[in-house]
Amino acid sequence: MYEILAFHICKPPGCIKKFFLVMRMTVFLLFFALMQVSAEGYSQSITYRGKNITLKQVFNEINKQTGYNVFWSSGIIANAPRMDVNFENTPLREVLETCLQRAHLTYSIEEKSIIIQADTQAPAPVEDALPPGTITITGTVRDTTGAVMAGVSIVIAGSKDEGTVTDNNGKFVLDVKEGAVIVASFVGYEQQRFTVVAGRAVYNVVMPRDVKLGDEIVVTAYGQKQRKEAIVGSVSSINPEQLRTPTSNLTNALAGQVAGMISFQRGGQPGLDNSQFFIRGVTTFGYSPSPLILVDNIELSTNDLARLNVDDIASFSILKDASAAALYGARGANGVILVTTKGGKSGKARINLRYERSISKPTKTVELADPVTYMKLYNEAVATRSAVGIPQFTPNQIQGAEATWTKSPGYNPYLYPAVDWMSTLFKKQTTTQRANLGLSGGTEFAQYYISGSYDRDNGIMQVNPVNNFNSGMKFENYQLRANVNMKVTKTTEAIVRLWGNFNDYTGPITSDQSGFATDLYDQALHSNPVAFPAFFAPDSANMGTKHILFGNNIHLTGGLMSNPYASLMYGYKSFSESRMSAQFEVNQDLRFITRGLNFHGLFSTNRYAYFDLVRNYSPFYYSINPSDAAINKYSLIWLNDQPGAAQEYLSYDPSRNNKNVNTYIYFMGTVDYSHSFGDHNIAATLVGTREQTQTANASTLQLSLPHRNLGLAGRLTYNYKSRYYVEGNFGYNGSERFAPNHRFGFFPTIGGGWIVSNEKLWQNSNISNIVTRLKLRGSYGLVGNDNIDRVENNRFFYLSSVTPHAGPGAYFGTRNNFTMNGPSIQNYPNPDATWETSHKSNLAVEFTLYKNFNVIAEYYWEFRKNIFQPRGYIPVTEGLESTVKANLGTAYAKGLDLHMDYKQTFTKDIWISGLGNLTITSSRYGHVEEPQYKYAYRFQSGRPINQQFGYIAERLFVDDKEALNSPAPAFGGPLPQGGDIKYRDVNKDGIINQDDQVPIGLPTTPEIIYGFGISAGFKGFDINAFFQGLARESFFMNPTSQDDRWNGYYGTTPFVNNAQILKAYANNHWSEENQNLYALWPRLATYDIPNNQQQSSWWLRDGSFMRLKSLEIGYTLPKRLIRKAYMSNLRIYFNGLNLITWSHFSLWDPEMAGQGFGYPVQKVFNIGINANF
Amino acid sequence: MLSSCKKYLDVVPDNVATLESSFANANETQAYLFGCYNALQNLSDVRRNAGFTTSGEIIFPFPLQDQNVLGPGGDGGFQILRGTQNSANPILNYWDGYNMGLDLWQPIRRCNTLIENIDLPKDLPLYNKARWIAEAKFLKAYYHYWLLRMYGPIPIMDKNNPVNATTEEVRVKQQPVDSCFSYIVGLLDEAAKDLPPVIQNTALEEGRITSTIALAVKAEVLATQASPLFNGNPDYVAMKRQDGTSLFPAAYDAGKWQKALDATKAAIDAANSSNASLYDLKLTGSITHLGDSIRQLLTLQGAVVDSWNQEQIWTLNPQFGWQYMASPRVTADAAANVFAVYSNFSVPIAESELFYTDNGVPINEDKTWDYAGRYTLQNGDQQHFYYIRLNYPTAKGNFHREARYYADVSFDGANWFGSGNTDDRNMNYVNAVNGFASPPDQLRYNATGYWAKKLVHYQSTAGASSVWQGYSWPFLRLPALWLLYAECLNEVNGPTAEAYSWIDKVRARAGLQGVVDSWNNYSRTPGKPSTKAGLRSIIHQERRIELAFEGQAGWDLRRWKELQNVLTGPVQGWNVFNRTVNGYYQVVNVFQPIFGLRNYFYPIQDYDILTNPNLTQTLYW
Repeated sequence: MYEILAFHICKPPGCIKKFFLVMRMTVFLLFFALMQVSAEGYSQSITYRGKNITLKQVFNEINKQTGYNVFWSSGIIANAPRMDVNFENTPLREVLETCLQRAHLTYSIEEKSIIIQADTQAPAPVEDALPPGTITITGTVRDTTGAVMAGVSIVIAGSKDEGTVTDNNGKFVLDVKEGAVIVASFVGYEQQRFTVVAGRAVYNVVMPRDVKLGDEIVVTAYGQKQRKEAIVGSVSSINPEQLRTPTSNLTNALAGQVAGMISFQRGGQPGLDNSQFFIRGVTTFGYSPSPLILVDNIELSTNDLARLNVDDIASFSILKDASAAALYGARGANGVILVTTKGGKSGKARINLRYERSISKPTKTVELADPVTYMKLYNEAVATRSAVGIPQFTPNQIQGAEATWTKSPGYNPYLYPAVDWMSTLFKKQTTTQRANLGLSGGTEFAQYYISGSYDRDNGIMQVNPVNNFNSGMKFENYQLRANVNMKVTKTTEAIVRLWGNFNDYTGPITSDQSGFATDLYDQALHSNPVAFPAFFAPDSANMGTKHILFGNNIHLTGGLMSNPYASLMYGYKSFSESRMSAQFEVNQDLRFITRGLNFHGLFSTNRYAYFDLVRNYSPFYYSINPSDAAINKYSLIWLNDQPGAAQEYLSYDPSRNNKNVNTYIYFMGTVDYSHSFGDHNIAATLVGTREQTQTANASTLQLSLPHRNLGLAGRLTYNYKSRYYVEGNFGYNGSERFAPNHRFGFFPTIGGGWIVSNEKLWQNSNISNIVTRLKLRGSYGLVGNDNIDRVENNRFFYLSSVTPHAGPGAYFGTRNNFTMNGPSIQNYPNPDATWETSHKSNLAVEFTLYKNFNVIAEYYWEFRKNIFQPRGYIPVTEGLESTVKANLGTAYAKGLDLHMDYKQTFTKDIWISGLGNLTITSSRYGHVEEPQYKYAYRFQSGRPINQQFGYIAERLFVDDKEALNSPAPAFGGPLPQGGDIKYRDVNKDGIINQDDQVPIGLPTTPEIIYGFGISAGFKGFDINAFFQGLARESFFMNPTSQDDRWNGYYGTTPFVNNAQILKAYANNHWSEENQNLYALWPRLATYDIPNNQQQSSWWLRDGSFMRLKSLEIGYTLPKRLIRKAYMSNLRIYFNGLNLITWSHFSLWDPEMAGQGFGYPVQKVFNIGINANF
Repeated sequence: MLSSCKKYLDVVPDNVATLESSFANANETQAYLFGCYNALQNLSDVRRNAGFTTSGEIIFPFPLQDQNVLGPGGDGGFQILRGTQNSANPILNYWDGYNMGLDLWQPIRRCNTLIENIDLPKDLPLYNKARWIAEAKFLKAYYHYWLLRMYGPIPIMDKNNPVNATTEEVRVKQQPVDSCFSYIVGLLDEAAKDLPPVIQNTALEEGRITSTIALAVKAEVLATQASPLFNGNPDYVAMKRQDGTSLFPAAYDAGKWQKALDATKAAIDAANSSNASLYDLKLTGSITHLGDSIRQLLTLQGAVVDSWNQEQIWTLNPQFGWQYMASPRVTADAAANVFAVYSNFSVPIAESELFYTDNGVPINEDKTWDYAGRYTLQNGDQQHFYYIRLNYPTAKGNFHREARYYADVSFDGANWFGSGNTDDRNMNYVNAVNGFASPPDQLRYNATGYWAKKLVHYQSTAGASSVWQGYSWPFLRLPALWLLYAECLNEVNGPTAEAYSWIDKVRARAGLQGVVDSWNNYSRTPGKPSTKAGLRSIIHQERRIELAFEGQAGWDLRRWKELQNVLTGPVQGWNVFNRTVNGYYQVVNVFQPIFGLRNYFYPIQDYDILTNPNLTQTLYW
């Protein structure tokens, strides 16, 4: 259950030496969880009389009357004098003090134990000092948030425990002498001192948290808590507060916040704006380089992680090396993300209320050429490619559109439309609201944490009042979480966690994967701005018409064109999505079997449900009647007048409604044991897990079978004197996707740590004043990755996957009506398939300079083998219908994680802190099964993973003649002309083909991610700025005409697929008038020119950037103002996200890489208020 | 405990579908057989057929406002003539199945799998078992043949390698072309003996392979082997395997023609015994008036577009889907709906000039025909009342041509029987200068001014809602066998009366006199039929005319090694965007085809040679 090794509470603090004495004396167990030694411990009293009594007799009596165990060594009391005692209902504390003082002994109380220690401090010569007059002081102790603190010890410096502790209201009363120095201390907080001066009786104390790296508790595999000091593996944990950004997507806050995580966001489309993140970079070229994500031990998807509410998070850690992740065995090779949610704390109910309101808009909007430029350039594109080409737009049309665009007198927007689709469809910005309420509290026996949140994202789309339904977008998210801990018996704790996440959406109809109607953005970018107006004003025939008169034209190929405005208005879709999770845990202390043994059991299940509904009318499309327009009459032609093609009433098609349901069940059992003898501490853990997911929407039989996992994992740790740590781990687990003989794998690791600064030699030398803490650690081991291929392709690697009657077929008979289809083969059996295995090594040094400056530097290297990859050598002549893959590939990776933080408090009111993270990774292919290329530069082996191959573009061709006489490109399509891209014939064979592709640029995933932030506070104000960036990344502008919104590929080729033209291309392209050989865009065309659409250095760009990721300014109102409202804390803050970006690339946000027509990354301005009651 | 854990991961029930389930019973096995047929039926798509797209018979315009009107990349095969072929990403890639090609190795593997597993179904009657094996063998042979025609030497995949075969096993080698031919012929022989000669249950089985088809294909295969492209072709002697084995025979072997001759005779005999004969016109629907002239044209055309007729030895079930590409707009309805007709299949002037004069000899040989003045204008007259609109000015070359010209090709001024008008006294006609058939835009136009009328059924009607009278695509007609026989006879024995007789049977149906008489009476080279070379040229032209637009010429011209000659000059057409008569009738160059020696065979995709270093790239690529 809890990691208990070497953790001790000393009261008063700073008693490590005493602690070691105790260790010698006896062996005992302490529980971290019960660190708040309550003041009630002292309230018990003793009645005891006797003469010539020994200390031992006193102790026995105490034990008899109070139940406290008293620990002492016979040596320590050997010289204690006998005494006469006369206690009548005397508090225990007084009894102890009276008896021990004379023997120069002291004591401490830990839970139910009283530990007797030698008092090493010289006995204070109390009798020598003349009492300068005693005064009674009082005061209240609070933490920095203003909450009162109970149980804080208030001690007179130099005395032996002379003092008191604060009560439940944080109050203390103490009789002291003037000039005495009072020390307030509490575990986990910085000690505070003040001097008692004459004439002042009230001393309020504020205790800031003492963030000493070594004392932090870190959540590691399977929710195990370990002290940071004791960890030998590589675990980064983030203060969840750092992840607070004004977005509803947690993954977008990760970049730069954690040393060892590579993260970037490629698009801002709501619902599809998850960042990609990789722990220690991409170290495999197999199917999945993604980490395992666990929330309260339950495996969840990236989407679930994205929706988590920061206020609910208690801890966020990532497991990076083998030692940390090995317990996950065959699933941990890509690292693990662990999140735990908050539990309750005993005490009065505390309420945390937060409300935020944000405005978001694109960090950078792609700039499109205006409609008139569009027409002119379209004509240029036709003319420049074909001598006989007929211009698309007549000068008359261009003039008319220009008049419309500039709203010149007499313009006719219906005859000569010039539409800015972007602003017709979208508002400049949108708003979001978030509210969050957290409630926690409890008694000694039961604690609770309940939170609820409500988010509302409003759409960015324009709304037309003509519709009697609102097609404007609204997305609401509700979350409810209840975590309750109950002490059922003295040794049994039960925990119940309930969590529900509910989303409701209504908005325009979309075919979008996300469900959100953001495909409209893409439609707007792929709509001709001058073909038709968005809608017409009614003509005389349509004066009474109820529907919108949408504009349209018959496309060249027959159908109607797409009118994005109609797509926005013609109906609405709603969906409802929910995930309910129930989790029950039990912690059982098994001390009745043997001390130090604990059991933890967990059962969890969640249910997911989704459905959507679509209702729409069929839009009416019109075009202007040009012959009437010529005689200055305004009349419209109804274009889709076929029966049923246009209708005013709503229709509903049940087959368009999607439903998706799945269930998940998880069991986990853990047994812990820990034991200490002398300087030796050992602990062991054994975890068994079992997991099953089932989905109701499987498309094939194999996919409908339950997805299961089974695992057994163990950890054994040993430390000596809290200086030397050794740890061994293993994971033994299985995946049902492999053949029985490959189903279970064993993944062992070993690691060790040495806390140099705990060595006597170190502590005694001067260097300990500079380097206050120094720790070295290292680990080595194996971890696996069983997510090696898409489940849809390859559910069971060892089975063939065949769909009968779904494959190729034929039909016969004079009327062609006898049809049969053969099977389709998705997969051939591969009984040898197994997981990837990663050999990971990690070395780290952690140190603290001058107490305030913490550094963790880690260096790692990794060898990945058994990467599942297609068999490169199987020629197509084998006639196989699906790719045969095998565990063939290997890869190497190495890198550096660096974390630094610093905090300095100057006075009570002024503090400053900073932190920085740097992640450097590099990985390269080891063995890859590749064809036997003729040219060495074509092999991937040895190259960085994700480095791209492409052609070397030299410049644009000067003229057609040069193009004709240059090495011929083998891309198909029309032969290149002047102004098309000229490639280097690398192998000098006279043809530009694959053999001329060389590795170009840097990998497309960044090799360096960094982030640094600085925070400062002055009185009630605080300011926090965080900068984040990435470097060593290349991307290719997408020069194709792709319009694949399902996968997020958007090419920027103008005109093709009805695409608009970017202003940048309009201003800077090769044309016959301006034959710039280095123009941004080559010669225009209205169709695809494959020569210019190849991946080449022409489109290669530097992806590095740095941005002011967030800036926050907050103000905490003075307590006296808010107390009347029963608040303990009230903070108002303004913050912003993605405010400023520095980059070499200016066309669109560099983080989106090549997909310029994708939905832009958002910039957010937010105002929030946070109140505690 | 441990075993129950292990069971927990055993989520797969015993009876999930695997490859073996495809042979659980006769019904499943038949479905599998149909899967083997799939690729064959896809071969009937003319876009995929190099014999159709890369023959010079029909070209496809470029650039169009929308180049995807034949589907994405659908015009790829046509554009090869513009020099787009390459080895990096070949067009009509039948090795890997890209760019309108099909991966033919997959159906070959499927056929092998069927043959390997045919014993599994317990309920399969023996006669069906033998027939299905024979069909699989035929298909395997035909797929190999298709690849052989395209790539020359190919690996022979007679047995499936296991999925986990070693690198050495899967790195197969190309076999010399003669071995490939022998292998294919061997398979066809095996297949023919177990196949039915004709399909009895036509409602269910029409389109499946018969022994007649197998024998006819065998004849074509052997003739291909005997033809100059494969038989001692000096240009390809240099093509050798990595191990030095020659892939093409160095010397010409006349004996190959004898084998082809015997096989063709056998095929003709088989066709006769299965009652194959020339097509008789069967009219469906009401006809307002139909005289002999148009009846003859409909008969000539009906041999192709009237499905499953007695002349079609082998027809594939899928229907020809591009009538709107081949048809001109001849009615106001068709013109009003510009989306009804595209007309992009454009016949070059050279192809139109292949058809004989009404005297049955080539237009440049006919003593009575004004060859030099063929591009001048002449008005439609009474003599051509049924062919050319009366008093309509058109090119002089359109006058005095054989019936097959008027049956197969349409042009400005040509009459059009059908498309809703079945009165041959007042037919629709083509006005390509400034009428319905002239280009409405830069997309729906014919680039040369000649339409492949043969491919458009007279009952097909374009308009606001078009009806295209569908027909299944024929692969082999009886006249093709006759002409092949004549070709073999001439190659083996030189000009003989027997050889003439087989040609004359074809000419007679077209209303032409026999070869000897025609040449004697009208040709400037009357002795041409009496020399072996002369008769060869006559047979070749006869074959190109008779089988025009049927996807045959491209293959024939290849095996004869004549395609390069056909494609030397520029592709020409009328000045189709000009709307005046005089402006229209200017011969313009549409484009200069690029067809070199290397284009006789297709390049293997470079990547395939990387994955299998044992392969040799096609020579000159």
